[in-house]
Amino acid sequence: MINFTIDGISVEAQKGETILTVARKNDIYIPTMCYISKTTPCASCRMCVVEAEGVEGFILSCNTPPTEGIEITTNTSALENERVNIMKLYDVNHPLECGVCDKSGECDLQNKTLEFGVSQQNFSARDQSRKIEDWGLINYDPSLCILCEKCVHVCNEVIGDDAIEVKFGGYSSTIIPKNNDTLDCTFCGECIAVCPVGALVSSDFKYSANAWELSRVPATCTHCSAGCSLEYETRHSGINGADSIYRVKNNYEFVNLCGAGRFGFDFNNQAEKDEAAFNKAVEAIKSAKAIRFSSMITNEEAHILELLREKLGLKLFNEDARKFQEFMTAYSSVSGKLHHSGSLDAIKQTDAAIIIGSRIATDNPAVRYALTTASKHNGAKIVYAHPMEDTLVQNIVTQFMKYEVGTEEGVIAVLADAILQDADLSEDERSFFDDLDLGYLYAESNIGDEELRDMMQSFKRAKNRVLILGNDLMAHERAVNIAKLAALIEKYSDFSLVVVPSEVNTIGVSLINTLDKDEDIIDVVGYNAKGNFAISCFEYANLSVPALNSQEGTFVNIDNRVLPTNVALSFDGYTLNDLAVACGISSENTIDYTKELNPNRGFKNIEFDNLENFLTPYGEDERGYLLDEVVCEADGTIEELDDLPEFNGTVIYHSNPVLQFNTYTNNSKQLEKDRTLRGSAQFAAAARISDGDTVEISFDGETVIRNFKLETDLKGTIALNPTFDSVVDASKYRFEKSKIVRVINE
Amino acid sequence: MNNEQFNNRDVSENGYYLVDIEDYPTDGWGKFKRVVKRTFRGELFVGLWVVLREMIRFDIHTVSYPQEKMPIGPRYRAVHEMKRLWESDAERCIGCGLCEKICISNCIRIDTKIDENSRKEVSEYSINLGRCIFCGYCAEVCPELAITHGGEYENASDQREHFLIYEDMLTPLDKMKAGTQLEFEGFGAITPHEDERVKKTPLAY
Repeated sequence: MINFTIDGISVEAQKGETILTVARKNDIYIPTMCYISKTTPCASCRMCVVEAEGVEGFILSCNTPPTEGIEITTNTSALENERVNIMKLYDVNHPLECGVCDKSGECDLQNKTLEFGVSQQNFSARDQSRKIEDWGLINYDPSLCILCEKCVHVCNEVIGDDAIEVKFGGYSSTIIPKNNDTLDCTFCGECIAVCPVGALVSSDFKYSANAWELSRVPATCTHCSAGCSLEYETRHSGINGADSIYRVKNNYEFVNLCGAGRFGFDFNNQAEKDEAAFNKAVEAIKSAKAIRFSSMITNEEAHILELLREKLGLKLFNEDARKFQEFMTAYSSVSGKLHHSGSLDAIKQTDAAIIIGSRIATDNPAVRYALTTASKHNGAKIVYAHPMEDTLVQNIVTQFMKYEVGTEEGVIAVLADAILQDADLSEDERSFFDDLDLGYLYAESNIGDEELRDMMQSFKRAKNRVLILGNDLMAHERAVNIAKLAALIEKYSDFSLVVVPSEVNTIGVSLINTLDKDEDIIDVVGYNAKGNFAISCFEYANLSVPALNSQEGTFVNIDNRVLPTNVALSFDGYTLNDLAVACGISSENTIDYTKELNPNRGFKNIEFDNLENFLTPYGEDERGYLLDEVVCEADGTIEELDDLPEFNGTVIYHSNPVLQFNTYTNNSKQLEKDRTLRGSAQFAAAARISDGDTVEISFDGETVIRNFKLETDLKGTIALNPTFDSVVDASKYRFEKSKIVRVINE
Repeated sequence: MNNEQFNNRDVSENGYYLVDIEDYPTDGWGKFKRVVKRTFRGELFVGLWVVLREMIRFDIHTVSYPQEKMPIGPRYRAVHEMKRLWESDAERCIGCGLCEKICISNCIRIDTKIDENSRKEVSEYSINLGRCIFCGYCAEVCPELAITHGGEYENASDQREHFLIYEDMLTPLDKMKAGTQLEFEGFGAITPHEDERVKKTPLAY
């Protein structure tokens, strides 16, 4: 703890804090242009200068830690003069196009120019001709750029794409794509978000609306289980049109958003009240044996389905959530608590992370960003265990642990064995590890003794360790035992555990619903899923219901946080609640169920309207609430390991390309839809196919026709098969032995 | 003229007096008596006499509209006009949407897009004259002096759709070429001698 004063106010700083962060925490204003809380200081604007007693000249408050007893002054006339001059320099030759600029009205340069009263200019420079760059989803106008370097820092330190850099050249400096002519990145669009001026803008949004015309709706992203906070910005479209979403923004100061959230917002649907279809739907539900639904659903809707199940004696099918439920039940039976302990914040703070069974950069970008932050800011050691390498995480992964497909149970067992070597285990548990045939496991899983020793060595000094489990483990045949082993690691070591669910509300559904194993029977009503009668927000619907951006309700995300989402666009048709009312379950609104969610599963009895949805100016998350910790009986025992399976021949892995997750993103106008089977040259040689071929992929009784794309980034003999276009079931174990035949086009 | 005499509400000063108005009748008989009194008191002939007198004097103040029209002031707020730039004849409107935002009767709708020259283009613009209250806020807020009020107050039509699209408001090109576009001197207009007050930016060349 360091005590010092700012403008005569005594303040205290933690170790590692700078003068600026302390000032902000104490509501003392220091102007900045380039500072952004989630990265290391760019220190390019020099606006944050302050004076310190006994120190000659100005010091930068953004990257200077305070010393004990120092007296800081933030507003003298010399400082004011310095800042005004900086603003004047920023304004040199800045195009006077505020009237049409997309950033106008929320522009830092505009605000600060007015704040410092820059009404005339005494600096000048010869203006240059600069071309607007079209980088696909992102447009860059170098003449508007003020070279604050926020975009570069975010891209490098938080996102991990490291796709842009500053081309230094004095007045002619610009931002350029790194090692490339055009921008080649995951198009998260975070650079657009952090840009304080209109230099980096979304090409789709460009010139279509202005900041002051848009209404903001705070909501939660629906594409993956991270449940990122975002704001839909809506306005009427055309002169007679209804409202539509123009763009998505996020609180870039503290949190991130991937490109799917930022650009894939136009999945809303519209319908009129079709009474005939509604009556048919009610009939269908009443006579159905089961309802099949997806996890892209609010907690309230899941609760309604549960009430329908109880009332009508239906079965509920949701394989994705059922597998997660089974996994977490097994986890609870060993750990003695209902929810996993880790969170995205824990990952950000970590200095040692193991991630198993997930192609995380595309499965859950938020986890990847958190890992990047940990890697760049804490120098975290990151062990990435997966049968396939991933170039997107290559620059943050310190140790790639390649294991054989299907051997996840063995992998987690040897990991647990290595981690829990000196742990205070119970007798049974110790004997389980003593009985392990490590030689067999090392040989079959392809994870060596040495690799594990390296890992333990590199983790030695770590204070915050995280174990991240992906979907491959939950969908695995031996998921139950894997979960128990993971729970053991969490219980007896200082690792916190994060289980990455596959869909936005997989956790919510698994906590609320009683699910049955999916059977291939008739008389199944599909709710946003396949069924004989389809109630859905997609095209094939027999009865249309609103998409998730036309609904209010809550989700449970990866942090076990209940997050509210709001209606961005109105929907005129029927909702699930109307159907429930017709079936005799009476409630006026869907959100009336928010307070009725089961407290035995950690939910709190809070009305939907009392849930907040914002981040404080200090970065504290005030969205919804965290699920209560629930204690359960720890009576589970670890089973003996099964023989590890072998996957030979051509194997495909169900994994989506960047920015694609589900039917919503598949319906989005801006996102690229790469429906090809992507494989390495090695895979192409093994399957005897080449780039551009149409291939027939047969696996597990299914046949899919896709084009094959040769990707130079990929290695090994496993190809990636997308699931976002709903051609294959995404809830299955994602590796699949397959037969690939080239289709000759006539 | 100052406002003091109007602000003084003391009725005992300034020669205020109470107008003698008899109470309204409440019963049927009273109402009947009022009708009879009004009918036969000859008030009608007082009015007719004024008309006759003025007709004989030939001192007539009315104009024979629509053949004749009264001149109107430059700040009159009638149907909107969209001005063009004197330098290039290009449209002044930049599509900032401030008029739509400020409109208190919510009658302006605007839509913009990026055009083929990467410039912002107004793709659709309409003012619903049925809702417009001609308050002049749109003209006042316009940063480009593009939307102004004109003197055209005759807007009868048999189709509601005729009110009002961008093309109707825009100064026609032939008028522009002839140099007869009128500047609006009302709300938001440039103050005289504005050029002399602008501080120049130094140039490096």
